[in-house]
Amino acid sequence: MHYKISTLFKALSDPSRMKIFHSLVLVSSALSISQITTDFNMSRQGVTKHIKILEKAALIDISIVGRERYCTANPSTLKEFKKWLNFYEQFWDDSLSNLSSYLGSAEKR
Amino acid sequence: MKDTIQKEATFKSDINSVWNAISKQEEISKWFLEADFKAEKGYAYTFSSKDEGCEPIIGIVISADPYLLIYTWEVKGTNIETTVEWKLEAINGGTKLTLEHSGISNYAADTAIKMFESFSGGWDNCINGLTGFLGN
Repeated sequence: MHYKISTLFKALSDPSRMKIFHSLVLVSSALSISQITTDFNMSRQGVTKHIKILEKAALIDISIVGRERYCTANPSTLKEFKKWLNFYEQFWDDSLSNLSSYLGSAEKR
Repeated sequence: MKDTIQKEATFKSDINSVWNAISKQEEISKWFLEADFKAEKGYAYTFSSKDEGCEPIIGIVISADPYLLIYTWEVKGTNIETTVEWKLEAINGGTKLTLEHSGISNYAADTAIKMFESFSGGWDNCINGLTGFLGN
């Protein structure tokens, strides 16, 4: 995954893309671009554009069968990043807890 | 999803005590990381850890006017600059701290995952425990 995490944030910042990704996660099977176009009442061009951005962020996989392209969600990508963000969350929680104890014990002396 | 981590904490200590704890290198070294730090704009600081496998943190002090401390935060070797901001406010009976760590999405995906994997469960050891301090 040679891209910046901002690619992932950007990919999910658009409501339509978020919806497409979400519905792919829910069906947990492949949907063709034609199906997505119908389901979301969007132009094929619009869907293709969103799909490409989601693929670039490794949020979905695209496979080509005959003349049709099929998309499947890849939610593990999101989980990895969530874990990573949680790691920094935890780091600061632990640090602030240390700071609090430090200030508390300094006061008592 | 947001790419800024924000934390709030309140302490019973007065604002100057908290300011000293976050901006004086002897104090930072006690509760956080071994610090080579000066609260002066432009100072290139280093936070390191005695433990192996903990990459030092390096950065530049951007602002150090009481009670706002801002510095860049780079895990050495990653070349990814993020920003850490500490803001203090005197409140009734103590001090309120607002901490913000921003720019986290600047990390490359593979670097982030590698970092996560190498530090997972490990950064606890990197932060200076209080045991040493309390034992003194």
